[in-house]
Amino acid sequence: MIRRSVAAAIATLALAAPLVGQAPAVQPSSRPDTYAITGATIVPVVGARVANGTVVIRNGRIEAAGAGVSAPAGAMVIDGRGLFVYPGLIDSGDRMGLTEIGSVPGGQDTQELGQYNPQNDVITAVNPSSVHIPVTRANGVTSAVTSAEGGMIQGTAALIDLAGWTPEEMATRGRVAMVMTYPRVGGGGRRFGGGGGQSQANQAETQSRQVQELYEYLHNARAYNGRSNPVPQNLAYAALGPALRGEMPVIFDVQTEGQIRGVLALADTFKLKVVLRGATGSWALADTLAARKIPVVVGPLTATPEGDAPYDAVYAYPGVLAKAGVTIAFQTSDGGEGDARNLPYNAALATAYGLDPEEALRAITINPARIWGVADKIGSIEAGKVANLFVSNGDPLDVRTQVKHVFIRGQLMPWDDRHTQEYQKWRSRPKP
Amino acid sequence: MMRIALFALPLAAGALAAQTPAAQDTTRRATLPVLKVDIPPAGTLVAITNATVLTASHGTIENGTVLIRNGKIAAVGKDIAVPAGAQVIDGNGKYVMPGIIDAHSHSGSEGINEGSLSNTAMVRIEDVLREDGIGLYRSLAGGVTTLNILHGSANTIGGQNAVVKLRWGLPVDSLLFAGAPPGIKFALGENVRRTNVPQIPGRTPRYPRTRMGQEELLREVFTRAREYQGEWRVYETARRQRGKEAKGLEPIPPKRDLQLDALVEILEGKRLVHAHSYRSDEILMLLQVAKDFGFRIASLQHVLEGYKIADEIAAAGAGASTFADNWAYKLEAFDAIPFNAALMAERGVKVTINSDSDERARRLYQEAAKAMKYGGASEEEAIRMITLNAASQLGIDKLTGSIDVGKDADIAIFNGHPFAPASRVEMTLIDGRVFFDRNKAPTLEALIEALKRRTRPNTTSGGAQ
Repeated sequence: MIRRSVAAAIATLALAAPLVGQAPAVQPSSRPDTYAITGATIVPVVGARVANGTVVIRNGRIEAAGAGVSAPAGAMVIDGRGLFVYPGLIDSGDRMGLTEIGSVPGGQDTQELGQYNPQNDVITAVNPSSVHIPVTRANGVTSAVTSAEGGMIQGTAALIDLAGWTPEEMATRGRVAMVMTYPRVGGGGRRFGGGGGQSQANQAETQSRQVQELYEYLHNARAYNGRSNPVPQNLAYAALGPALRGEMPVIFDVQTEGQIRGVLALADTFKLKVVLRGATGSWALADTLAARKIPVVVGPLTATPEGDAPYDAVYAYPGVLAKAGVTIAFQTSDGGEGDARNLPYNAALATAYGLDPEEALRAITINPARIWGVADKIGSIEAGKVANLFVSNGDPLDVRTQVKHVFIRGQLMPWDDRHTQEYQKWRSRPKP
Repeated sequence: MMRIALFALPLAAGALAAQTPAAQDTTRRATLPVLKVDIPPAGTLVAITNATVLTASHGTIENGTVLIRNGKIAAVGKDIAVPAGAQVIDGNGKYVMPGIIDAHSHSGSEGINEGSLSNTAMVRIEDVLREDGIGLYRSLAGGVTTLNILHGSANTIGGQNAVVKLRWGLPVDSLLFAGAPPGIKFALGENVRRTNVPQIPGRTPRYPRTRMGQEELLREVFTRAREYQGEWRVYETARRQRGKEAKGLEPIPPKRDLQLDALVEILEGKRLVHAHSYRSDEILMLLQVAKDFGFRIASLQHVLEGYKIADEIAAAGAGASTFADNWAYKLEAFDAIPFNAALMAERGVKVTINSDSDERARRLYQEAAKAMKYGGASEEEAIRMITLNAASQLGIDKLTGSIDVGKDADIAIFNGHPFAPASRVEMTLIDGRVFFDRNKAPTLEALIEALKRRTRPNTTSGGAQ
């Protein structure tokens, strides 16, 4: 229930048809700038839960959150009794805004030609009108690291909020990390390589050559960036400057233990700040990764183990990493098939196989905020942070939980997603 | 007692990248202790005690006992005496539900698309079934006991499906579900049109290329089937007549046609139709064709736009077997909504949630919970969507699909409520036999422990290739 002390504002509420678990909608044009969610259980994720607390949102930020906080005059009040306030969830890897329909090539904008494209920035190609954005945020996912795929270096990934009129408006960090992969023996099939059409010897040779190329490329880029006023300019090498200076993290989309060992050697050579992503083989190096403080973006857990790996290998490896002291976050790796909204259920699967539930929640909120260098802005319910948060009737890891209200940058999101709209439309179809 | 090696674990197999950092994998070459699965003997007396029993048919029983005798459920309830000599499974803190039935799977089949003709009604999954696909074991570990293994969707009539129980470790013939009525896969829409696969230059495209062609093809083949059925009726009548009068020439039987035999079985209501379909228009088309030829569609598979025509589906008595929330992977999946299952159920359609994937099959319980989230299905309705309703669509609901006396003891045991986030499958029983037991299963944890133990230098010999 939402009420506002300014009675006239009620008229601006566009109330949706009553839906199970869906909330009344507010038109974007009628947004108030101050909200108070009262009487709710606040789950800040960085500290203890607060029972019967109030969260005040003003001008896009969390102004106050706690038990002794009261709603300011003029605020639109959301009665949070029996409900919970969580920080918005962060998907640390998907193709948000770059894909629309899997089988339709015109809507697939994720893969550039060639192997080395560090000069490409996905933020320039994020479609703010993608229908996936409202569908995803409806389940409390408010931010995503979206990135390209294919080749050896894909360019920069963008950390975006799932709201905004333009890509730049959506960006929390438009160039949040450089994205690379590391050559893999065989590129598929069995754990630790193998499979594919080539013989094992040929696969190993191909991989070896690709590794050499990668080293050479980075050597050349480093040399270029060491020169003052190089002529002619090389935009690709220049784009690697921040990563080679350790100012920008490098995401490595890898799977196997062998690839990870390769990444560690590469990181030593070029002093890279590494974030591993996917990395299903990382359990075998958990202690090393913990000691080197290399975070791992795990997932998607909606995957089968490679080859003859244990049946629960993909579900259990996040727990193994976390227990060893590795900072983990989750990705859905969604490639336009609408799975990013299931981010919390990836985390849930990990809790069934050994990951502590509190850590699982952190791994979709504050951990990614820290990994992506934005913990001062998002990832927890704390005064001063950007008001990316949602109100639900329970644990977001539980599929049965209903998300009631979603705020991004202090704005209450309308329930204007394609799925809710289609549901309303067809549920009211008269009997034939 | 049979023993099968689930993995022989030469850890470094395949990692051969010499002179690269990846080559360090080869240092891990060693053989782990072989992890084994024990196949339990049949016919034992088993009691699952003190558990929360989600029956799928008559509510939830707290502190309940399920008694199993000779593979069948002998008793279920609160105050069931455990007979002496019974193997007791302590269900304290555990949740027991019927074994999950996946109404759409391709697991364990060596091939799923014949596809060279638009009607391949004569080909059979059971002829290409394998018992050793790892996907079967992993589904079992997700509480699945029965699969409906279907052909693909490359052609209008794909072939005859196989309903199997996941009796992992037994020979392939032991997998077939005795008593399951035969079925067949139909397909409509984009996949049949081959719009999402590259056309091979020089090869003539296969008819039909459109949805209207699919409609015509169905009418064509069922017209042929009726004629063929008529020829056989004439023959049978003549043969009976001759038998009565004991004179005249022996009538000549029509030429046996395996393709048309399967279609005649559909016309006679002996073969269940499972029809891959997405858009509301093509679904209505199929329902009309089926009505005109006098058969029923046992299940519309995928049926992602079923919510638009739920009343028509209900009126036709067709089942609906859908995804929980997959969408947007192709154009005909763009109108899919996660409310589909609950909305169809609300309008009286018997709904199931299926996997169509070795991945989703491992966590169908999580998928089923989405019917509660989106559209407000009740808990028992959501449980039925992966158990009893699936049994009904496959014509095996007298045998399995719920925890009721007399049914096969196909059961999944969870460490918490199947819909709760931290729950996982602890045991899977088929016909009362424990085919999966997490305590004995080769888990990642077990592998890590084994790796720690095998650091001794004299264990590095042998077996890596």
